[in-house]
Amino acid sequence: MACGAQLEMAMANPVERHLDEEAAEKYSLGQLSARKVVEIETHFLVCESCRQKVAASDAYVAAMRNAAAKLRKKEQTPRRRVAGK
Amino acid sequence: MVARIRADDPSGMEELYGVFTTGIRFYLCRQLGPQDLDDKVHDAFITIAQSIRRGDLREPERLMGYVRTVIRRQVAGYIGAAVESRRNMVDPDHGAILRDRKPDPERKAIEDQNNALAMRVLNTLPRRDREVLVRFYLQEQTPDRICRDMGLTATQFRLTKSRAKARFTELGQARFARHKGFAASATAKRKEAPEARAS
Repeated sequence: MACGAQLEMAMANPVERHLDEEAAEKYSLGQLSARKVVEIETHFLVCESCRQKVAASDAYVAAMRNAAAKLRKKEQTPRRRVAGK
Repeated sequence: MVARIRADDPSGMEELYGVFTTGIRFYLCRQLGPQDLDDKVHDAFITIAQSIRRGDLREPERLMGYVRTVIRRQVAGYIGAAVESRRNMVDPDHGAILRDRKPDPERKAIEDQNNALAMRVLNTLPRRDREVLVRFYLQEQTPDRICRDMGLTATQFRLTKSRAKARFTELGQARFARHKGFAASATAKRKEAPEARAS
Protein backbone atom coordinates (compact mmCIF):
# COMPACT_ATOMS: atom_id res chain seq x y z
CA MET A 1 0.00 0.00 0.00
CA ALA A 2 2.63 2.47 1.09
CA CYS A 3 4.82 1.74 -1.93
CA GLY A 4 2.04 2.52 -4.40
CA ALA A 5 1.14 5.73 -2.62
CA GLN A 6 4.80 6.75 -2.34
CA LEU A 7 5.29 6.20 -6.02
CA GLU A 8 2.14 8.11 -6.84
CA MET A 9 3.25 11.06 -4.76
CA ALA A 10 6.80 10.99 -5.98
CA MET A 11 5.45 11.11 -9.51
CA ALA A 12 3.23 14.06 -8.67
CA ASN A 13 6.07 15.88 -6.99
CA PRO A 14 8.89 17.55 -8.89
CA VAL A 15 11.39 16.47 -6.22
CA GLU A 16 12.12 12.97 -7.35
CA ARG A 17 15.87 13.01 -7.84
CA HIS A 18 17.98 11.11 -5.35
CA LEU A 19 20.74 12.84 -3.44
CA ASP A 20 24.32 12.35 -4.49
CA GLU A 21 27.04 12.13 -1.84
CA GLU A 22 28.15 15.70 -2.35
CA ALA A 23 24.64 17.09 -1.83
CA ALA A 24 24.20 14.91 1.27
CA GLU A 25 27.46 16.24 2.71
CA LYS A 26 26.53 19.85 1.95
CA TYR A 27 23.20 19.25 3.62
CA SER A 28 24.93 17.82 6.70
CA LEU A 29 27.25 20.83 6.78
CA GLY A 30 24.34 23.27 6.38
CA GLN A 31 25.81 24.65 3.18
CA LEU A 32 22.78 24.45 0.90
CA SER A 33 20.40 27.19 -0.14
CA ALA A 34 17.03 27.34 1.61
CA ARG A 35 15.35 26.22 -1.59
CA LYS A 36 17.56 23.17 -1.97
CA VAL A 37 17.00 22.26 1.69
CA VAL A 38 13.24 22.29 1.13
CA GLU A 39 13.68 20.03 -1.92
CA ILE A 40 15.89 17.55 -0.09
CA GLU A 41 13.81 17.40 3.07
CA THR A 42 10.64 16.90 1.09
CA HIS A 43 12.27 14.13 -0.89
CA PHE A 44 13.70 12.18 2.03
CA LEU A 45 10.33 12.15 3.77
CA VAL A 46 9.47 9.30 1.42
CA CYS A 47 12.90 8.00 0.33
CA GLU A 48 14.67 5.47 2.53
CA SER A 49 17.89 5.32 0.52
CA CYS A 50 18.34 9.10 0.74
CA ARG A 51 17.62 9.05 4.46
CA GLN A 52 20.40 6.50 4.84
CA LYS A 53 22.73 8.68 2.79
CA VAL A 54 21.98 11.70 4.98
CA ALA A 55 22.38 9.68 8.19
CA ALA A 56 25.77 8.34 7.01
CA SER A 57 26.85 11.80 5.99
CA ASP A 58 25.76 13.32 9.32
CA ALA A 59 27.75 10.68 11.18
CA TYR A 60 30.84 11.23 9.03
CA VAL A 61 30.77 15.01 9.28
CA ALA A 62 30.24 14.92 13.07
CA ALA A 63 33.09 12.41 13.52
CA MET A 64 35.49 14.40 11.32
CA ARG A 65 34.60 17.60 13.11
CA ASN A 66 35.23 16.06 16.54
CA ALA A 67 38.45 14.38 15.50
CA ALA A 68 39.71 17.53 13.78
CA ALA A 69 38.96 19.58 16.89
CA LYS A 70 40.90 17.14 19.08
CA LEU A 71 43.79 17.12 16.67
CA ARG A 72 43.89 20.92 16.51
CA LYS A 73 43.83 21.14 20.28
CA LYS A 74 46.65 18.62 20.55
CA GLU A 75 48.73 20.49 17.98
CA GLN A 76 48.21 23.76 19.81
CA THR A 77 49.11 22.38 23.23
CA PRO A 78 52.81 23.14 23.85
CA ARG A 79 54.85 20.02 24.40
CA ARG A 80 56.38 19.66 27.85
CA ARG A 81 60.12 19.45 27.98
CA VAL A 82 61.48 16.34 29.56
CA ALA A 83 63.53 17.28 32.62
CA GLY A 84 67.26 17.11 32.14
CA LYS A 85 67.14 17.26 28.32
CA MET B 1 -5.70 9.67 0.46
CA VAL B 2 -6.31 13.37 1.15
CA ALA B 3 -10.01 13.02 0.28
CA ARG B 4 -10.30 10.07 2.66
CA ILE B 5 -8.61 11.99 5.49
CA ARG B 6 -10.98 14.90 4.89
CA ALA B 7 -13.91 12.49 5.01
CA ASP B 8 -12.65 11.03 8.31
CA ASP B 9 -12.16 7.63 6.69
CA PRO B 10 -9.68 5.72 8.95
CA SER B 11 -8.01 4.15 5.91
CA GLY B 12 -6.82 7.64 4.91
CA MET B 13 -5.00 8.13 8.21
CA GLU B 14 -3.65 4.61 8.03
CA GLU B 15 -2.14 5.33 4.65
CA LEU B 16 -0.76 8.68 5.83
CA TYR B 17 1.00 6.86 8.69
CA GLY B 18 2.25 4.17 6.36
CA VAL B 19 3.79 6.61 3.92
CA PHE B 20 5.25 9.21 6.27
CA THR B 21 6.02 7.67 9.68
CA THR B 22 9.64 6.74 9.00
CA GLY B 23 10.42 10.01 7.22
CA ILE B 24 8.84 12.19 9.89
CA ARG B 25 10.61 10.20 12.63
CA PHE B 26 13.92 10.61 10.88
CA TYR B 27 13.43 14.34 10.36
CA LEU B 28 12.31 15.05 13.94
CA CYS B 29 15.06 12.89 15.43
CA ARG B 30 17.70 14.60 13.30
CA GLN B 31 16.50 18.07 14.28
CA LEU B 32 15.49 17.55 17.90
CA GLY B 33 17.18 14.37 19.11
CA PRO B 34 15.63 11.10 20.25
CA GLN B 35 13.94 12.44 23.37
CA ASP B 36 10.13 11.95 23.44
CA LEU B 37 10.27 11.11 19.76
CA ASP B 38 7.12 8.97 19.69
CA ASP B 39 5.09 11.81 21.20
CA LYS B 40 6.48 14.30 18.73
CA VAL B 41 5.71 12.04 15.77
CA HIS B 42 2.20 11.52 17.09
CA ASP B 43 1.72 15.30 17.50
CA ALA B 44 2.91 15.84 13.94
CA PHE B 45 0.31 13.44 12.54
CA ILE B 46 -2.45 15.05 14.58
CA THR B 47 -1.49 18.51 13.31
CA ILE B 48 -1.27 17.29 9.71
CA ALA B 49 -4.62 15.49 9.84
CA GLN B 50 -6.37 18.41 11.53
CA SER B 51 -5.11 20.92 9.02
CA ILE B 52 -6.06 18.67 6.08
CA ARG B 53 -9.58 18.35 7.54
CA ARG B 54 -9.77 22.12 7.93
CA GLY B 55 -9.03 22.39 4.22
CA ASP B 56 -5.61 24.04 4.58
CA LEU B 57 -4.15 21.75 1.93
CA ARG B 58 -5.78 23.03 -1.24
CA GLU B 59 -3.85 20.96 -3.75
CA PRO B 60 -3.67 17.30 -2.64
CA GLU B 61 -0.75 16.62 -5.01
CA ARG B 62 1.35 18.94 -2.86
CA LEU B 63 0.95 16.71 0.20
CA MET B 64 4.67 15.92 0.52
CA GLY B 65 5.70 19.56 0.59
CA TYR B 66 2.84 20.32 2.93
CA VAL B 67 3.86 17.62 5.41
CA ARG B 68 7.40 18.91 5.36
CA THR B 69 6.19 22.48 6.04
CA VAL B 70 4.06 21.34 8.98
CA ILE B 71 6.87 19.39 10.65
CA ARG B 72 9.36 22.18 10.02
CA ARG B 73 7.01 24.56 11.83
CA GLN B 74 6.68 22.01 14.61
CA VAL B 75 10.47 21.86 14.96
CA ALA B 76 10.66 25.66 15.03
CA GLY B 77 7.99 25.61 17.75
CA TYR B 78 9.95 23.14 19.89
CA ILE B 79 13.16 25.09 19.46
CA GLY B 80 11.38 28.36 20.28
CA ALA B 81 9.87 26.79 23.39
CA ALA B 82 13.26 25.44 24.45
CA VAL B 83 14.90 28.85 24.02
CA GLU B 84 12.08 30.51 25.95
CA SER B 85 12.22 27.97 28.76
CA ARG B 86 15.98 28.37 29.10
CA ARG B 87 15.37 32.07 29.43
CA ASN B 88 12.86 31.40 32.20
CA MET B 89 14.64 28.47 33.76
CA VAL B 90 11.97 28.02 36.42
CA ASP B 91 8.98 27.66 34.08
CA PRO B 92 7.52 24.26 35.09
CA ASP B 93 5.42 23.93 31.91
CA HIS B 94 8.55 23.34 29.88
CA GLY B 95 10.23 20.92 32.24
CA ALA B 96 10.53 18.23 29.61
CA ILE B 97 12.52 20.44 27.30
CA LEU B 98 14.85 21.46 30.08
CA ARG B 99 15.86 17.87 30.69
CA ASP B 100 19.42 16.84 30.14
CA ARG B 101 19.86 15.89 26.48
CA LYS B 102 22.66 13.40 26.82
CA PRO B 103 22.62 10.78 24.06
CA ASP B 104 21.57 7.27 25.03
CA PRO B 105 24.46 4.85 25.76
CA GLU B 106 24.17 2.98 22.45
CA ARG B 107 24.18 6.18 20.43
CA LYS B 108 27.11 7.48 22.48
CA ALA B 109 29.07 4.27 21.86
CA ILE B 110 28.53 4.56 18.11
CA GLU B 111 29.59 8.21 18.16
CA ASP B 112 32.73 7.37 20.12
CA GLN B 113 33.61 4.61 17.66
CA ASN B 114 33.08 6.97 14.71
CA ASN B 115 35.23 9.63 16.36
CA ALA B 116 37.99 7.07 16.91
CA LEU B 117 37.80 6.01 13.25
CA ALA B 118 37.96 9.61 12.07
CA MET B 119 40.97 10.19 14.30
CA ARG B 120 42.67 7.12 12.83
CA VAL B 121 42.00 8.42 9.33
CA LEU B 122 43.38 11.86 10.14
CA ASN B 123 46.46 10.43 11.85
CA THR B 124 47.39 8.27 8.86
CA LEU B 125 47.16 11.11 6.36
CA PRO B 126 50.02 13.31 5.23
CA ARG B 127 50.09 16.59 7.15
CA ARG B 128 48.92 18.59 4.15
CA ASP B 129 45.84 16.42 3.53
CA ARG B 130 45.01 16.58 7.22
CA GLU B 131 45.17 20.35 7.09
CA VAL B 132 42.70 20.36 4.18
CA LEU B 133 40.20 18.31 6.17
CA VAL B 134 40.62 20.32 9.36
CA ARG B 135 40.04 23.54 7.46
CA PHE B 136 36.98 22.13 5.69
CA TYR B 137 35.20 20.23 8.47
CA LEU B 138 36.28 22.13 11.56
CA GLN B 139 36.92 25.67 10.43
CA GLU B 140 34.23 25.47 7.74
CA GLN B 141 36.36 27.23 5.17
CA THR B 142 35.04 27.14 1.62
CA PRO B 143 36.70 24.85 -0.92
CA ASP B 144 37.70 27.95 -2.93
CA ARG B 145 39.51 29.47 0.01
CA ILE B 146 41.24 26.22 0.94
CA CYS B 147 42.43 25.73 -2.63
CA ARG B 148 43.65 29.32 -2.84
CA ASP B 149 45.45 29.28 0.52
CA MET B 150 47.02 25.88 0.04
CA GLY B 151 47.73 26.07 -3.69
CA LEU B 152 45.45 23.15 -4.61
CA THR B 153 43.32 22.53 -7.66
CA ALA B 154 39.63 21.75 -7.19
CA THR B 155 40.35 18.15 -8.25
CA GLN B 156 43.13 17.74 -5.68
CA PHE B 157 40.78 19.08 -3.03
CA ARG B 158 37.99 16.68 -4.01
CA LEU B 159 40.40 13.75 -4.13
CA THR B 160 41.75 14.48 -0.65
CA LYS B 161 38.24 14.59 0.71
CA SER B 162 36.98 11.51 -1.09
CA ARG B 163 40.07 9.43 -0.17
CA ALA B 164 39.56 10.25 3.51
CA LYS B 165 35.89 9.34 3.31
CA ALA B 166 36.66 6.09 1.50
CA ARG B 167 39.20 5.20 4.20
CA PHE B 168 36.68 6.00 6.93
CA THR B 169 34.07 3.78 5.25
CA GLU B 170 36.61 1.00 4.76
CA LEU B 171 37.68 1.08 8.43
CA GLY B 172 34.04 1.21 9.51
CA GLN B 173 33.18 -1.82 7.41
CA ALA B 174 36.18 -3.73 8.74
CA ARG B 175 35.09 -2.91 12.29
CA PHE B 176 31.55 -4.03 11.51
CA ALA B 177 32.81 -7.31 9.99
CA ARG B 178 35.03 -7.96 13.02
CA HIS B 179 32.13 -7.24 15.33
CA LYS B 180 29.86 -9.54 13.31
CA GLY B 181 32.52 -12.26 13.29
CA PHE B 182 32.94 -11.94 17.02
CA ALA B 183 29.18 -12.13 17.57
CA ALA B 184 28.90 -15.19 15.31
CA SER B 185 31.76 -17.01 17.04
CA ALA B 186 30.28 -16.18 20.44
CA THR B 187 26.93 -17.62 19.33
CA ALA B 188 28.66 -20.74 17.97
CA LYS B 189 30.52 -21.16 21.26
CA ARG B 190 27.28 -20.84 23.19
CA LYS B 191 25.74 -23.53 20.96
CA GLU B 192 28.75 -25.81 21.33
CA ALA B 193 28.95 -25.44 25.07
CA PRO B 194 25.97 -27.64 26.04
CA GLU B 195 27.18 -30.43 23.67
CA ALA B 196 30.66 -30.23 25.17
CA ARG B 197 29.19 -30.45 28.61
CA ALA B 198 27.01 -33.42 27.57
CA SER B 199 29.96 -35.34 26.15
